[in-house]
Amino acid sequence: MLDEALRLEDVYLSTSELSGTPFSVPRAVNYFENIKASQNNEDRPLIAGANLTLKLGETICIGGPSGKGKSAILRLIAGLARPLKGHIYYFGEYIPAERLTALEVAKRQVGYVLQNAALISNLRVIDNIALPLRYHRVGTEAEIQKKVNMAMDLMRVRNFATMFPHQLSVGMQKRVAIARSWAMDPKLLLMDEPTAGLDNYNRRNLLPLIDNMRTMFKTSIIIVTHDLMIAKELDCNLVFLNDKKLTEPHSFDYWLHSDNEISKDQFRDLQANSNYF
Amino acid sequence: MEEKRLKNWQKMTPVGRIFHSLGIFILKRKMGQLFALFFRTIASLFASNHNFRNDSRNIILQTFFTGIEIFPPLFTVATLFGTVTIIEVISLTGKMGMSDFVGNLMVVALIRELGPILTAFLIAGRTGSSLTTYIGGMVINSEVDALATMGINPIRYLVMPSVIGGTIATIIMNIIFSSSAIGAGFLVTKGIIFITGNAPNVQITWSYLSAEILKALTLPDFVFAIVKPLVFGIIITTNACYQALNIQRDIRQVPKATSRSVITSFLYVVLADVVLSAFYLISYMQNLSMMI
Repeated sequence: MLDEALRLEDVYLSTSELSGTPFSVPRAVNYFENIKASQNNEDRPLIAGANLTLKLGETICIGGPSGKGKSAILRLIAGLARPLKGHIYYFGEYIPAERLTALEVAKRQVGYVLQNAALISNLRVIDNIALPLRYHRVGTEAEIQKKVNMAMDLMRVRNFATMFPHQLSVGMQKRVAIARSWAMDPKLLLMDEPTAGLDNYNRRNLLPLIDNMRTMFKTSIIIVTHDLMIAKELDCNLVFLNDKKLTEPHSFDYWLHSDNEISKDQFRDLQANSNYF
Repeated sequence: MEEKRLKNWQKMTPVGRIFHSLGIFILKRKMGQLFALFFRTIASLFASNHNFRNDSRNIILQTFFTGIEIFPPLFTVATLFGTVTIIEVISLTGKMGMSDFVGNLMVVALIRELGPILTAFLIAGRTGSSLTTYIGGMVINSEVDALATMGINPIRYLVMPSVIGGTIATIIMNIIFSSSAIGAGFLVTKGIIFITGNAPNVQITWSYLSAEILKALTLPDFVFAIVKPLVFGIIITTNACYQALNIQRDIRQVPKATSRSVITSFLYVVLADVVLSAFYLISYMQNLSMMI
């Protein structure tokens, strides 16, 4: 249990949780309302009985067809959606559903890169990256500046430091978002489609960075992606979201050469020229 | 496991259950949520990792944003409104032979009632709506979600500076409204008299007007000149932020929430004004009996 970064036990998630997180309403109200709603009518859950165990320093990729709730799982782990049932453990610590908020999860150093980078649009790139550091006062201004510069160098956005997010392309925004998460020194990093919108060159630059993060900082990473080659290049396990459940984690090669339903759907074109691999 | 937790929740003592259901009953109501948001805003000021320099910078920025943006329309409205009130009051009291009450009427109309109300309406229309669209846009772009996942409390980062800065700006703007309604209103009245050759048939000098108004001012007027805009500012900004944070992820909800924020702000401001004016009821009665 102690060497686990994350554990999901029999988690249920209803579709109504995805309509947004109303920060105006005290979360306790939602919680008791949800219980009442789930007792009264038959809610169609988006995810039913998902189990996942992530060791410290491990990287896992979640794949699957679009629209099946891959991003919803990340929202759930980040605390933006609340499970109807089930238990979530962060670093061996159980947070009950009524206390599971994004702020509570963020206290445990869980970083989250959203699908649309979600940079604060009235701040420049440099201030966007420095914002959480300044808010949490992780050091003096000089230390923060050093850290921000390092993050910008890593993601190659130093040249755009004084630009506003709307002046950047989608891929660049994503790199800034990853830099923002990296600067916070997360112990568990959730990435939603990190390579979507990146060209081949930057994708090849991003992957070693992710690799460095897990080897140097022992960061546990969950990547939701359609780009299944990431799993091969990072040499990490793949999990598929199938039939409202998460499958067992297996390596890329296992999935490629097995002949079950999921592999046929997801690896058809790869299997066709599998002698290439 | 779930069944067990449910049972635990239901296994409260009768007193605890009463408090629980009362709390849920209140917090399910819109008014309860508004109050909860306000109290959470105040509580977030004292959060463990408070950063005084950042906070005060945000608050001052918001104050200037509210104040400077609202000043031109507010000044125009105050001046014209003051002109109308001065001309009406002077000519009316002259006709009815109640010239002693010029100051009282001016104070009641401009400083007590319409000054704070009109300031609040202007601020609700300008700042309230812009706050709702600004925070609503952030909600739609999931920037608020991103803030929360970075451990930044959205209530502290977005709502708290807006509420405090907006309230300070409302207080300052109310004072500016009252003074410019009387001062600039007097000048415009003089100008009208000069241009039209005293068509409204108003005899007025600054010494007369200021002496009458100063005579009519009492201590509660000064207190309420602060308390009323304070309450109105809190109502407007909290309501605007509440409506914005309530938006579900649908772009059509932003304009709806904006209009809802402005209209409900008007309603709450008038309601609060009625409640606050209950203090004046006694003195109104005395004035009425004196007049009769």
